[in-house]
Amino acid sequence: MNAAPGLIELTIDGQKVSVPAGTTVFDAARMNGIRIPTLCHQQNENPVGVCRVCVVDVGARVFTASCIRPAEPGMVVTTNSERVESARRTLVELLMSDHPSPCARQQHSGDCELETLAKDAGITQSRYPRRTPRASDDSSPAIAVAHDACILCDRCIRGCNDIRGNFVLSRMGKGAAADIAFDGNLPMGESTCVSCGECMVSCPTGALTNKFVVGTALGREHEGAPATVEELLALPVFQNVSGTFLELNRNAVVKRHYRRGEIVCREGDFGSTAFYILEGTVSVSISTPIAHVKTAGGERGFFSKLGSFLVGRDGDEREEEVDRRTIPIDAPVDLDYSHPVAELGPGDLFGEMTCMNFYPRSATVRAESDCTMLEMLRNVLDSMLKNKTFRARMDATYRQRALEDHLRRVPLFATLDQAFIDQLRERVELIRYAPGQAICRQGDPADSFYLVRLGFVKVSERHAGGELVLAYLSRGDYFGEIGLLGGGARTATCTALDHAEVVRIPGEEFRAMVERFPAVRSGLEAIARERQDANRQRVAMLGSVPLESFLAQGLMEAQSLLVLDLERCTRCDQCVRACADAHDGVTRLVREGLRFDKYLVATSCRQCRDPLCMVGCPVGSIRRRNSLEVIIEDWCIGCGLCAQNCPYGNINLHPFTVQADDPDAPGRKKAMVRKKATSCDLCTSQAEPSCVYACPHDAAHRVEPREFFAPLLGISAARKEAE
Amino acid sequence: MPRTRTTKKLAQRIDLNYFQKPRPFRRWRFWLSVTAPVAAMVWLGWHGLRGDPRVYSAGQLSRAHAVFANKCSACHVMRAGLFTEKTSDSACLACHDGAIHHASQTFTPSCGSCHADHRGAIRLAEVSEESCTQCHANLETRDGPAHYFTHIRSFNGDHPEFAVLRSGQPERGTIKVNHYLHLQPNLTGPNGRVQLVCADCHRPAADAQPWRFGSGIASAAIAPAASNESAGRPPSFTQASPAAYMAPATYAQTCSGCHLLTFDKRFSEQVPHDTPQKIHTFVVAKFQAYIAAHPSELRELRNPGRDLPEKPVPADYRVLTPTQWVAEHTAQAEDLLWRKTCKQCHTLNFSPEAASAPNNPAPLPAIAPSNFTTRYMPDAKFDHSQHRLVSCESCHVATRTSQQTADILLPGIATCRACHNTGTQAAESRCFECHTYHDPGQRKFAPGQFALPDLLQSMTLNRTETPADGL
Amino acid sequence: MRIDSTHRAWLVASAVILGVSAVLYAIYRVPASAGSMGGTAMGLAFGILGFAFMIFAGLLGARKKVPVWRVGRAQMWMRGHLWLGLLSLPLILFHAGFHSGGPLTAVLMWLLVIVVVSGLFGAILQHYLPTVMTREAPLETIYEEMEHVNAQLRQEAAELVEGAGARTAEDEEGVTIAVEEQAAPLQRFFAEELRPYLENSAARRGPLADASLAERSFAQLKRLLPPELHDTVDDLEDICEEHRQLARQARLHRWLHGWLLVHIPLSLALLLLGAVHAAIALRY
Repeated sequence: MNAAPGLIELTIDGQKVSVPAGTTVFDAARMNGIRIPTLCHQQNENPVGVCRVCVVDVGARVFTASCIRPAEPGMVVTTNSERVESARRTLVELLMSDHPSPCARQQHSGDCELETLAKDAGITQSRYPRRTPRASDDSSPAIAVAHDACILCDRCIRGCNDIRGNFVLSRMGKGAAADIAFDGNLPMGESTCVSCGECMVSCPTGALTNKFVVGTALGREHEGAPATVEELLALPVFQNVSGTFLELNRNAVVKRHYRRGEIVCREGDFGSTAFYILEGTVSVSISTPIAHVKTAGGERGFFSKLGSFLVGRDGDEREEEVDRRTIPIDAPVDLDYSHPVAELGPGDLFGEMTCMNFYPRSATVRAESDCTMLEMLRNVLDSMLKNKTFRARMDATYRQRALEDHLRRVPLFATLDQAFIDQLRERVELIRYAPGQAICRQGDPADSFYLVRLGFVKVSERHAGGELVLAYLSRGDYFGEIGLLGGGARTATCTALDHAEVVRIPGEEFRAMVERFPAVRSGLEAIARERQDANRQRVAMLGSVPLESFLAQGLMEAQSLLVLDLERCTRCDQCVRACADAHDGVTRLVREGLRFDKYLVATSCRQCRDPLCMVGCPVGSIRRRNSLEVIIEDWCIGCGLCAQNCPYGNINLHPFTVQADDPDAPGRKKAMVRKKATSCDLCTSQAEPSCVYACPHDAAHRVEPREFFAPLLGISAARKEAE
Repeated sequence: MPRTRTTKKLAQRIDLNYFQKPRPFRRWRFWLSVTAPVAAMVWLGWHGLRGDPRVYSAGQLSRAHAVFANKCSACHVMRAGLFTEKTSDSACLACHDGAIHHASQTFTPSCGSCHADHRGAIRLAEVSEESCTQCHANLETRDGPAHYFTHIRSFNGDHPEFAVLRSGQPERGTIKVNHYLHLQPNLTGPNGRVQLVCADCHRPAADAQPWRFGSGIASAAIAPAASNESAGRPPSFTQASPAAYMAPATYAQTCSGCHLLTFDKRFSEQVPHDTPQKIHTFVVAKFQAYIAAHPSELRELRNPGRDLPEKPVPADYRVLTPTQWVAEHTAQAEDLLWRKTCKQCHTLNFSPEAASAPNNPAPLPAIAPSNFTTRYMPDAKFDHSQHRLVSCESCHVATRTSQQTADILLPGIATCRACHNTGTQAAESRCFECHTYHDPGQRKFAPGQFALPDLLQSMTLNRTETPADGL
Repeated sequence: MRIDSTHRAWLVASAVILGVSAVLYAIYRVPASAGSMGGTAMGLAFGILGFAFMIFAGLLGARKKVPVWRVGRAQMWMRGHLWLGLLSLPLILFHAGFHSGGPLTAVLMWLLVIVVVSGLFGAILQHYLPTVMTREAPLETIYEEMEHVNAQLRQEAAELVEGAGARTAEDEEGVTIAVEEQAAPLQRFFAEELRPYLENSAARRGPLADASLAERSFAQLKRLLPPELHDTVDDLEDICEEHRQLARQARLHRWLHGWLLVHIPLSLALLLLGAVHAAIALRY
C-alpha cells in the first residue's frame, strides 16, 4: 500500500483511490467521481461542517462530515450505506420542517439546494412541526433577506468575511433564536454591507436572493433560460473555467435574447449584472447631454438674451476641462461628448462596474439587431475575469478601443504621434485591484504612470493632522506623472476604492521614448512643480486645532462655506431666489442647517477636502480639478449616488424637462422629464456668487471657514500668515 | 432613540421649490399692491367723472377768485400748439386791467409772478416785496439812468427819505403862513380870544363840518386844483379819495373869520377876496354910490390935526367933483389894501412901468399865485382817514415851531417807520401799502366775459345750499 | 439692513445733500414771504430731485425680481433705498414749502409721510428682530415650510407615543395589561395636552406654551412613568420645545415682514399719484 510520495491511499465505497495528502474525504470522493451531497460546503470556502449533510461513515463511532475530515491513509469510507442515507434524510427533513417551501429561489429558478436534496430524498412533507416564522429584510437595495429560509449554513458569513473581507455578516442568538445578522443586527440596508453579492451567490437556499433576478421587470419581460453548463463550456470565453463552479452557479448566468430595438438597460437604473454579447450589435448612448440644461425649453428671444447679457452668464466651461470631450461609461468604449452613441458587438462585455460594484447603469443600451447575450452575476464575472483567455480578450478590446482616447486625454500625451501611441499601446499593463488595496504609497519610489480604466481610486496624503484626500479619480483619469520622470518619491497614496483596474505604463519603458519628445519632458516637469506647490499649500493649511463643535459639524472638512449672518438676515429668501435664477430655476442652496455661533451654515456645497460625493459616479460627471468647486456635468444620468453620499444633503436631484431621444421612435426627440443632480458651483462664471451678490442685507458670505472663524477658533494671525 | 439633528436631515425636510409656491404673505402683498394704486386711480377717476378738477388744485383760491374754484379753464387756458396750460397773462387781462408800470422798464413780469393764486384766501393785490424789489433792488431802465432811487429793498431797510424832504427844497407857496403864531393861545378872534386847532384850517375835502372861522363868503372861483400837480399827472389820481387828503385851505373857510378885508371906515363891508381889478371896481363903485348919497362930503374941510410938518398946508376946504372924490378915496383905500391888508399874506408885484405912468396914480399890483403844494408824495398813496387814530401833531411834529411858509411840514419816513415795520405787531410795510405798480393813468375797464349762468353752474358744485329763487 | 460703518459714505453724502438743500431753501424761502411755490425753479428742482429719489427707492422692488442681473450689488441698492428714500421726505417738504396744497398734494404728503415712517419702522425692526429671532428660536426653520415641519413633529410625536405603548407591551408578554397601564399616563398626556398643542400652530396659552411650565409638566409626567420611558418623554419634550420655538419664530417673522404690507402698496400708490401730480402740475 505504498503510494507515491505525497499521495495517500484510501477506499471510498469500495473503490481504491489515491489522493494528495491533506485532501478532505469529500474532495477525495469528488476527484474520483463520487458525489456526496452538501449544503454548507462550498468549494471556494473553508469548510465548517455545520450542516452535516455530507456525513459519511468512516468506521468511527459517529459519522464524520466529509467536507472537513482529511483523508487518512487506509481509511474506508462508505458514503451511501443505509444508515448514512437515513441520517441524511432525517437531517434534510428536519431542515425542511422550517423551510418555507417552495422558497423564493425554488419558485424562481427551481434550484434551492435544500429542496433539491429533499426532492432527491423523496421528502414531500416533513413530519416535524414548523417553528415561528421569522421576518424578512427588504432594506438592502440589491439583496432580499428571507430569514425563514436560512439554514444557518454559514456560507454567506464565510463569503462575506473570508472571501470578500467585508465582515458584515455574523451569527447572532442561540438555539432556535439563532440567525444571521448584519453588523450587530441592523437591517441589511442600514448596515455597512456594500452589496457585493458574495453572500447571495453563496446562499444555497432562497434566504439571500438577488432582488433583480427574483421578480424584476427584466426578469419577467424577457425570457432567459439559465444557460446549461454544456452550453457555457462550449463558448470560447468559458474555456478553462471550472465546470463545477459553473454548475454551482448555474443560475447566476442567464442567456437572454433581445429583438431589434428593445432596450437592454436604461441609464440610471440600479443593477447587479454584466452582459456579454454573444451575437448581434447594440448601441450604447446617453440620451440627455445638452450644453446647458434649461428647465423650460429655453427661449432664445431678445429679452432672454438681454437677460443673459446682464447676468453675465457664460457656459460652464472651465479651462482645464475643455479637452474633456468624452464621457467615460461602463463599457469598452467611451462616448464622444458631441455625439454620445457607440456600438458594441459580439465579444464585448458591458456593465462591469454595475456588476462588480453595484453602481447604477451608466448608459442606455438598445439592441440594434436581434441579439443574444449572457447576463451574469458578479461571481460568474469574477471568475471569468480571472480566466486568462477572457482577460486577454477584454484587455485587447480595451487597448484597441479606449486606451488611445484615454492616453490622449492626458495633456502630456496629446502631442505624441500615432506611431508612438501604437507602440505604447502594446507596452501597457492592465492591473486589477481589490477594494482598499494600495496601488502606490506615499514615499515609495515612483516608477510608473497610471491610467484608471475602471472603478475609483482615492488619492490621499498623510500628514500630522490625519489623512487628507486630494482627489477621487475615475475612468479616464490618470496619476503618477512624477513617476515618469524617475527618481522621485510618491507624494501621495493611491488606493483602489472598489474593484478598480488601472493601466500601468512602466517608467523605464517610457523614459527611453521621452528623449524623442523633449516637449513631454518639460510638460512633465511643469506638472510636477504644480503638484508639489499645491501639495505644500494644502498640507500647510492643516496646522491648527479647531473648535470641537466646528469639527463636530464637519466644518473642518469644508474649504468653502456659505454662511448667513443671522443677526442681519431677515429671512427674505432673496439668496435662494437669486441662486434659482442663476441656475435654471433650481436653487442650489437651502436656507436651513445647523448653526455655528451666530451664523447659519447653509446647505450648499462645502467643497469638502474629502469629496465623498465623487465616489461612485458611474459616468464621471461630478468632478473637480484645480478650482475648488464641484461641478456636475450635463451628462449626469440622475442615479442619485452623489446625493446619497454627500453627508450634508448639499446635492439634490431635480427633475428637468429635456429633449431626449424618443425610445419608441428612434431618431425623433420628445420632451421628457429627467432627474439630474444639482449642486452649488460657486458661480465661478460670475465675479461673485449670486447669493452673496443678491443679499440686500449683506448677510450672506462665502468664506473659507478657518480664516473666517479664526477669532472663534483661536487660530492666531501669525499662524495664518505663515500659511 | 435620541433625536439627532444633522444638516442633511434638516435640509431634506425642505421642499426645494418652497420659495416659488404662493404664500399668504406674498398674496397679500400682491393684492394690496394692486389695490392701493387702483384705489388711487379710482379716487382720481371719480373726481374726473364728476367733472370736478378741484382735486388737482394746488391750494385754496383767493376770496376774489373762489367763484372759479371749479372752472380751472377760466385761468388755465389752453393755447394752440403748446402742451402746457399754465396761466398766461391773457387769462388775467380778460377781466383785469394791468397797465404797465413804466414805459422804460427793462422787463415786464407776468401777472402770475407777482399775483400768485392757490395760496389760500388771501387778497391777491397784496404782493410780496420781492415782486417789487426784483427790479427796484437794482433798478435799471431801458433808456438812460433811472429817475428814482436804484436800490430799494424794503421799507425799513433802504427805502430813501421822501423826495421833498430829501431834496431840501422849500415849500413854494407864496402866501405867508406862520403856524407858530397861529397856534398860539389867546389869539384875537372875531368874538374874543381864540385857540386855533389844526382842524380849523386843515380838513379833508369830504368833511362837512362848519368852519369855525369861515365867513361863509364863497370865495371866488379860484380853483386851487390845477396849481400844484406835476406836469403830466392827471387829476384823477388826486381826486381819488376825498377823505384821504386834506383839502387846500381856502380864505373863505379858514382865514376870513379873523383876517378882515375892510377898506374904509365909512363902510362895514369888506372888499371881495378877488383879483385887484375886481377889488378896484368894487371900491370905486362903493365910493361912487356913497358920494352920490352924501354929496355934502364933496366939500372937504381941512383937519388941522392931520397937518404934517414940512408938507404944504392944504386949503381950509376943498370942493371936489365926485370923480375927484372917488378917485382920491379909492387911491387911499387901495393904498391901504395893497400896502397893508393884502400884503399881510400875499406877495404883490408892482410892475415898473406902472410906477412911472403919469396918468395912473394908483397902479394895480399883480398877486402871485398861491402855488401851494397840495400833494407832497405824488407817487405814493396816503390816507389821513386811516391814520385818524393819531393826533395831527404826533406826525406833523414841526408844525408848532414853523414860522415860515417855506418850511415843509410833511413828516419824514422815520415817523412812518415807527408803526410801519416788519413783524406781526407792526403796521403793513410792504410796498403795496403805499405804492402801486399798475399805472393808474392808463387804467381802463375790461369788459366782463363770464355769463352768469356759466358761473352759477360752476358754483353749484361747491355750494352747500340751493340758490334762492330768482337768482 | 443694519446701518453700520459700511454706510458711512452714504451718510455723509446724505448729510451734505440735506445741508445744501436746507441752505438753498432758506435762501430761497425766507425772503419769499408770500410762500414758496412748488412751481418756481427752485421748487421744481426740489420736486424733481425728491421724486427721482422716490423712484430709485421704488426700483428696489424691481431689482429684487432680477437678483442675478449685474446692475449693481443688492447691498448698494439697499443702502441707496434707505438713504435716498429718507432724503426724499425733506426734499419734498422743501418742494412744497411745508404747505399741503390742494387735495391731491395733501394726500401725497400723507402718503409720503406714512411710507417713510413705515420704512423707518421696518429699518428699526431689522436692527433688532433678527437678533431676537436668532436668540429665541435656535431651532428655527424656513417660515414657509413650517407647516410641513410641524406636521413632521406631530407625526414623530405620535410615533414615539405609539412606540412607547407597543414597546412596553412587547417586552413582557405576560404582563400586557399592567404594562399598558404603565404607559397610560403618557397616552393620556399626549391625547389631552401634547397633541392639541402641536396641532395648534399659534398656541400661546396653555401649560405647554410656556417653557418653564412645560418643563414642570414633563417632569411630572416622568414621575408617573417607568424609567424605560423617560427617554421617550425627553424626546417629546424636545419636540414640544421645537414647536414652541417655531411658534415664536413665526410671530417674530410676521412682525419682521408685516410692515411691508403697509410700506409697499402705499409706496406704489405714492409713485403713481406723484407721477399724476407731476404731470398735472407741469401742464398747468
